[in-house]
Amino acid sequence: MAIITQNKTPTRPAPLSESSVLGWMRKSLFSSWFNSALTIFTLYIVYITLQGVYIWGFADASLVADNRRACYDNSLTGACWAGIIDWLDNIFYGRYPREEIWRIDLGALLLLLWMAPMWMRKVKGKIWIGITVVAFYPFLAGYLFAGGDKGLFMQLMIAAALVALPANLINMLLGLYKEQSLGQLLHTFCAKFSRDEKVQRNLLLALVVLSIVIAFVLQYQWQEQGVSWTKWGGLFLTMSIAGIGIAFSLPGGIILALGRRSKLPIIRVLSTGFIEVFRSVPLITVLFMATTMFPLFMPEGFVLNKLTQVIIAVCLFNACYMAETVRGGLQAIPKGQYEGAHTLGLGYWGTMGFIIMPQALKHMIPNIVGNFIGLLKDTTLVSIIGLFDLLGMLRSISRDVPWLGLHKEPLIFGAIIFFIICFSMSKYSRHLESKLATGNKN
Amino acid sequence: MAKNAETDINKRARPVEKFDFFQDQRVRSIFYQLLTLSIVCWLGWYLISNTTENLAARGMSTGFGFLSSTAGFDADFKLIEYIPGKGSYGDIFIIGALNTLFISFFAIVVSTLFGFLLGVLRLSNNWLVSKVTLAYIEIFRNIPLLIQIVFWYIGVFSLLPVVRKTIDISFGSDMLLLNNRGLYLATPIYGELFWVTAVAFAAAVVGVLMMRYKAHRLQDKSGEQTPLMLRSLLLLIALPGVAFALTGAPLSWDMPVLEGFNFVGGTSLPPSFLALVVALSIYHSAQIAESVRAGILSVSRGQHDAAMAIGLKPGRVMALVIIPQAMPAIVPPMISQWMNTVKNSSLAIAIGYADIVSLFMQTGLNQAGHAVEMVGMTMAFYMFISLSISWLLNIYNKRVQLVER
Repeated sequence: MAIITQNKTPTRPAPLSESSVLGWMRKSLFSSWFNSALTIFTLYIVYITLQGVYIWGFADASLVADNRRACYDNSLTGACWAGIIDWLDNIFYGRYPREEIWRIDLGALLLLLWMAPMWMRKVKGKIWIGITVVAFYPFLAGYLFAGGDKGLFMQLMIAAALVALPANLINMLLGLYKEQSLGQLLHTFCAKFSRDEKVQRNLLLALVVLSIVIAFVLQYQWQEQGVSWTKWGGLFLTMSIAGIGIAFSLPGGIILALGRRSKLPIIRVLSTGFIEVFRSVPLITVLFMATTMFPLFMPEGFVLNKLTQVIIAVCLFNACYMAETVRGGLQAIPKGQYEGAHTLGLGYWGTMGFIIMPQALKHMIPNIVGNFIGLLKDTTLVSIIGLFDLLGMLRSISRDVPWLGLHKEPLIFGAIIFFIICFSMSKYSRHLESKLATGNKN
Repeated sequence: MAKNAETDINKRARPVEKFDFFQDQRVRSIFYQLLTLSIVCWLGWYLISNTTENLAARGMSTGFGFLSSTAGFDADFKLIEYIPGKGSYGDIFIIGALNTLFISFFAIVVSTLFGFLLGVLRLSNNWLVSKVTLAYIEIFRNIPLLIQIVFWYIGVFSLLPVVRKTIDISFGSDMLLLNNRGLYLATPIYGELFWVTAVAFAAAVVGVLMMRYKAHRLQDKSGEQTPLMLRSLLLLIALPGVAFALTGAPLSWDMPVLEGFNFVGGTSLPPSFLALVVALSIYHSAQIAESVRAGILSVSRGQHDAAMAIGLKPGRVMALVIIPQAMPAIVPPMISQWMNTVKNSSLAIAIGYADIVSLFMQTGLNQAGHAVEMVGMTMAFYMFISLSISWLLNIYNKRVQLVER
């Protein structure tokens, strides 16, 4: 039997290129009859959904109206965004006095300024920026938002923040234009006076103390009108609770995770118990515990306000979740790293602080950001126990007389706000993950 | 000489263990532990003493005696008999716990099935399907569950038509009715001889299992495949059907009937139940889809290629080769999602479904005022569930590890 035929096989036409539009469509949309049916079906669903959203949310929607009735007179099938627009200030700032709103804006702006260098590649000393943000910014912002009288500790922290903020900005400008850090600049400055390291160090210390004293004197004059926490609300309150929660839960989680992996049995058992108790119950029970049981825990005459109770509950709860994330990162570090650190003569805190933690945290960045997102979403629960956070504010629109019964639009607006924040956070964490990947993954 | 050398070795300087009290590791470790323990004990004592003082100052009693006292409020959804004014707080606790478990069960079943489907669709070759699934997952994962629950409750299930304009979703048979008071289902009433049908169905199941076993044996021996689908279906339908007909159709339905302003008869599920089930299922199906996707991606590409190379169809590649290998990576995160479902069902409090938190820990607490005991009992309930689920997970992990290698 001849395998080779005598006649030449006719040349076939070249296959449709997969890189062309037609080829791509054929490959990824219409590769089989089943796939084609699926594509057409999905297209139909997408079309129906988008059309519905477009008609309800845009085409038939009323943007300007005095009350809900006017919205309905305008169109029955569209959304009534007028209510949202009317309440926009409340949604963002709660019932914060309108003439004091600049304080919230300023606080947000300061945070942005403080955090901005983290995204600049040329700026050095990012760890210090992170530490100062967590250590000092909450006090500065806390006073800015709450106002009133300030205690000595508060004054000291504000003074420190007032030193750290300009230092941070100078560092940023130096990094951007001179490609050096503030630390280097101060070092060369001190070196001009003396070669002795001890003198240099003292000089630096004196400089820092002097600037803090100046800042202290400056801030002594600064007095803001007190705003009660009951006036806080809206997105501002949501962000405040989430921000404090984030600032506390990471260090708290690291300590708990170290405790859980400690060699000392009592510390290990206590940390494990603490973590497991809080992780196995829903947040709402912890919030209830905070509002019903904390007043019983406190000595007589000592009253915690509701906001503080809630913040403590959120912090404790999230520290435990963070602890598990950090522990996952710690477990992924090979034993050789610990042994290597030991051979270098590092003690426990040296090993953890310089060798293990940086690697573990880097490993876990997506999960840590995932935790932050979870925390932000969880803050909506405070509306159940009567705080007017974003969700609480949105739901009270429907109880406002002109907008009585306006439920859907506020909820959808809130969903959009949360989606934008959470989605961009998760996208950014994925970007960070790929940027920080050092290539030693097999 | 030799002796000398030996003594030399003995005399050679050994590191002498100097006992430095402040630098000794053991002393330090005991000191730190004692320090922590005493701080924790002091804190515990401080809190307890404050609490007892406060309770005494407010004239509140402690102890679990209140559980047997009568509760004067009703639950709008209950799985056991309970009469307000006669039932006790213990009954309220049980009603709440059962309601939590009931709704979690539904949400877990639906979200797992749906999540699996979405996870597989997310990896579909079809670009459009994959992207639409991605959009679904990202949208519902990034919106707080509470907003979703409230939206389904206020924006959907409360806006359904009123009782007079009830929608029939069972195609005209009046067995499934939906209105703004909830979903009304017809409940089956089993006649005396219904057990015959049940036995026939069980026999049919056994028969199908035996057929499958035989077919497997045959395939193992000769490679011959027997088509079973049609035969099994026939057996499963015909045998119980014949039994049912011969015993005179001993089954009737308790139909929901409109009487006055509301439906009577059948089973009713309140709108809060429906909203919670739908919201939990959607939210958690998006989460489960992500873990299913990650699990499937963790199976190496070669497995897929090899299965294709021996001529399996794409569907069977998934079902016979990829999914079984992906299971060990999928199941642990999925079980922790189940755990989260149980915990998140506590958000029922926002829409008033009578779960343990809203019924026992809110309404009950407002009435009876035993804050410490009631919050403690609720937390203990969730801890018990969570421990049971992690016990389940451990068993699964052990089995998987044994099968592997």
